[in-house]
Amino acid sequence: MTALVEPRAAPLLRPARPSQAWLLPTMLLLPSLAWITFFFLAPLILMCWRSLASEGFSLETYSVLFTSPLFTKVMITTVKTAGIATVFALLLAYPLAYVLTISGGKMRALILVFVLIPYWVDIIVRSFSWLILLGDNGMVNKALMGLGIIGMPLQLLYNPFSVLLAMVQILLPLTTVTLFGAMLRIDRTLITAAKIHGASGWQAFRTVFFPLSLPGVYGAGLLVFVLALGFYVTPALLGSPRETMIAQTIMVEASQLLDWPQASAAGAVLLIITTSIAALYNRYFSLDRLWGGSDN
Amino acid sequence: MTELAAAAMANGAQLRLRQLTKAFGATKAVDQISLDVPAGAFVSLLGPSGSGKTTTLNLIAGFLTPDSGDILLDEHSIADVPPHKRNIGMVFQSYSLFPHMTVGENVGFPLRMRTRLSRQDARRRIDEMLALVQLSHLGDRYPRQLSGGQQQRVAMARALVSHPRLLLMDEPLGALDKKLREQMQIEIKRIHRNVGTTVIYVTHDQTEALTMSDLVVVMHQARVAQVGTPRALYEAPANLFVADFLGDSNLLTATIAQVRGDELAVEIGSGERIHATRSAAAASQGSDAVVLIRPEDISVTATGERTDGRDVLAGTIRDISYHGDTFKLDVAVGADVLKVRVARERGAGMERGDRVFLTWRSSAVRLLPAGDRPGDAGNQGEP
Amino acid sequence: MSTIAGRLGLGAAVLAVLVYLIFPVIVVVAISFSSGNFLVFPPPGFSLRWYESIAGDPEWVSALWVTLKVGSLSALIAVLLGVPAAFALVRHVIPAKALLNALILCALVTPPIVTALSTYLFFVPLGLVNTVVGLACAHAVSGMPFVVINTSASLRSADVNLERAAVIHGAHPLWAVLRITLPIISPGIVIGAIFAFVHSAHELLVATFVLGGVGKPVAVKIWSGVQATSDPTIAAASAILIGLAIFTFASAAATQSLAKRRTA
Repeated sequence: MTALVEPRAAPLLRPARPSQAWLLPTMLLLPSLAWITFFFLAPLILMCWRSLASEGFSLETYSVLFTSPLFTKVMITTVKTAGIATVFALLLAYPLAYVLTISGGKMRALILVFVLIPYWVDIIVRSFSWLILLGDNGMVNKALMGLGIIGMPLQLLYNPFSVLLAMVQILLPLTTVTLFGAMLRIDRTLITAAKIHGASGWQAFRTVFFPLSLPGVYGAGLLVFVLALGFYVTPALLGSPRETMIAQTIMVEASQLLDWPQASAAGAVLLIITTSIAALYNRYFSLDRLWGGSDN
Repeated sequence: MTELAAAAMANGAQLRLRQLTKAFGATKAVDQISLDVPAGAFVSLLGPSGSGKTTTLNLIAGFLTPDSGDILLDEHSIADVPPHKRNIGMVFQSYSLFPHMTVGENVGFPLRMRTRLSRQDARRRIDEMLALVQLSHLGDRYPRQLSGGQQQRVAMARALVSHPRLLLMDEPLGALDKKLREQMQIEIKRIHRNVGTTVIYVTHDQTEALTMSDLVVVMHQARVAQVGTPRALYEAPANLFVADFLGDSNLLTATIAQVRGDELAVEIGSGERIHATRSAAAASQGSDAVVLIRPEDISVTATGERTDGRDVLAGTIRDISYHGDTFKLDVAVGADVLKVRVARERGAGMERGDRVFLTWRSSAVRLLPAGDRPGDAGNQGEP
Repeated sequence: MSTIAGRLGLGAAVLAVLVYLIFPVIVVVAISFSSGNFLVFPPPGFSLRWYESIAGDPEWVSALWVTLKVGSLSALIAVLLGVPAAFALVRHVIPAKALLNALILCALVTPPIVTALSTYLFFVPLGLVNTVVGLACAHAVSGMPFVVINTSASLRSADVNLERAAVIHGAHPLWAVLRITLPIISPGIVIGAIFAFVHSAHELLVATFVLGGVGKPVAVKIWSGVQATSDPTIAAASAILIGLAIFTFASAAATQSLAKRRTA
């Protein structure tokens, strides 16, 4: 059936052309990478550079920083506040994320709306609303006085309590969603298996689900902690000078004192801290997970 | 040349693959594949997932560039031609109809892209195609308003509207249920006979390949295990993989005990000897081989006496299962277990543990090379 | 959690947390309609006067315009940069995937004060301070991840064979991407753009440094207002921002379901 005709001289073995395979993706990525390099990385490098060279190369700004009692105190306050806020955010987000995990479609969507809408409201508004609630004339004080529990309004504002209350509320959506994502990955048939073998609901949770959720908890915790370190609006609005966090100090150095090298140094220190923690996070938890990518 | 063949030559392209290779990283998805497809033929690429059949199709389509080797359409090399210029039609498993276009617009798409037909001519061609796939009245509907089978037919009409000389089909019936699949198989064959284009059809379903194709290319681990007509592949498989992949088979490891011209005596696991004729597999005394006997070729006989020169083996029924019109028996012969089918009346009297005698036509025995690695493009045509 | 008490306890805890989350939003919106002069909750009466005062104040109106301009421009840039990047990440095999992820992570996790300070120092010699364009360029950096994430998600769920079907039947590959794939993934792109816009509208610190003077956007104006006055104008402005967020959120959801219906 086949007439065996010699094919016209087409080269039998074509040279392999792997070199062209990367041309298109590179061109597609170049604009965004170039933009990030120019508008994000370059400024960061410039800032680090400015922290060093006010009169020739010197580490003077850093030595001032590290010997300054104010700076030390602010850093400690920042880390403490961020840490406590993270812990509370995790404590509150965990049951919320758990309920999201076990809920069906409609319930889940409803809860997610509640969780995500605040996320869309800007940080100023959210911090500011606490001002209204916790003030001397605010709802809380009015209610307590109305019920006769107290005679004089409580000083609920401008202390660590108000700062933390607002911070936790602001961090909660992200914490919940991150934990939820991690919990979704836990194989729930394992819990069923545990129950079949005699574990009660609580035991199954304690011995199977909770340990499996811990990596997710650590991951969410790291992420939230890093974000909490950089908070500005909330402590500025709701805290007293004793609750000052590092972002406020840098702001003052830059915009009021106009001490750019000093501000840059503090910024560089903060940058190094957050980058290290983010690198730690990236090492153990692939960022891909945050937006549902897989490993290919 | 017959009229039919001449017509096929006119409408269908001759396709050649020459030592086509494509690797992804360290793994070879397609390894030195060579193939000659006659004009107008319906050829299936059959194999398990990972065998390289879809990669081969994508290479022919042009979505992948081969690392080495060539693809020739009507003796012209198309390996360097981009896919939108190759002038072939393609049908996908998920139909891939454009959701924002009507059925008519979908079918007319290749005409818009490739030709400069006037609106009337295009309209006429579209109507022609819709009539061919028996969907004339649905031209103004949207794909989402059609059933799966209808959508697949629209996909075929779209693929054929510009009269391509090659049609590629990538497991087009995989998403349909059994009954619909069988109907569509008949449809596709009818359309093929009507149009005469060359078809390359990828499937993992051996029944589909056997019933629809002029030629079947069995693929295994990036290579061609065997090429042949459905009958040739079923009745004369060239290697272990093809024998096992198509249909039910009994495969017994054996050693060649004696060679007498074209007659061989082969010793199977139980120590007994059966006879086979020399086939393409190399055979020398003492070498290993695999014996293939299809279950439908084995019959249960009354005595252990050899009659008409047929071999007889004694065995014990290990298991018996009821299949409506037949019983399937697992018969232990030494260490081997042979699958046998018996008619309902016979099987009704049998029980596990019964001693039976099995016999077969000597021509039903086939010798295969031991080991799994299929050779390169095996026999074409009858053995 | 199989006991009734356990279930109730969990339910109560969840409810409490949800109230904790939503309540501030309700407070602010309620006060924006207050007829009273002070930031008191619950408000004494209903009135639209604070919204009227914003509408009549040229500074507020101009601030809203600036926010719109900066937001739209940064969203546009984010789309132009992010969509091709999403294609590269989803459709192609790239060796430096991990590096890219790290880069994007950096942009999301860097403290805003650091970004603000460094951007300002960088913009001064470039003359980009006090320009809408400058701020938009800076905001585009943090808006980009939103576009990339949402476009990637859309791309991943789109049928790649649709593009192939177009190409094999004669369409030029670029035509197929523009006319077949882009319309299909446009919901993802739009949602990403909306996220980028809202993010820009809310952003405070970079905006303070780069455009904190004469032509400041709403976020900066609210911040200076919050620290200075205590009348509900601030609440009204904040409520406008909330309304903007909810509006864009709702239109995103509507776009998605509309697109689903077209291609179901």
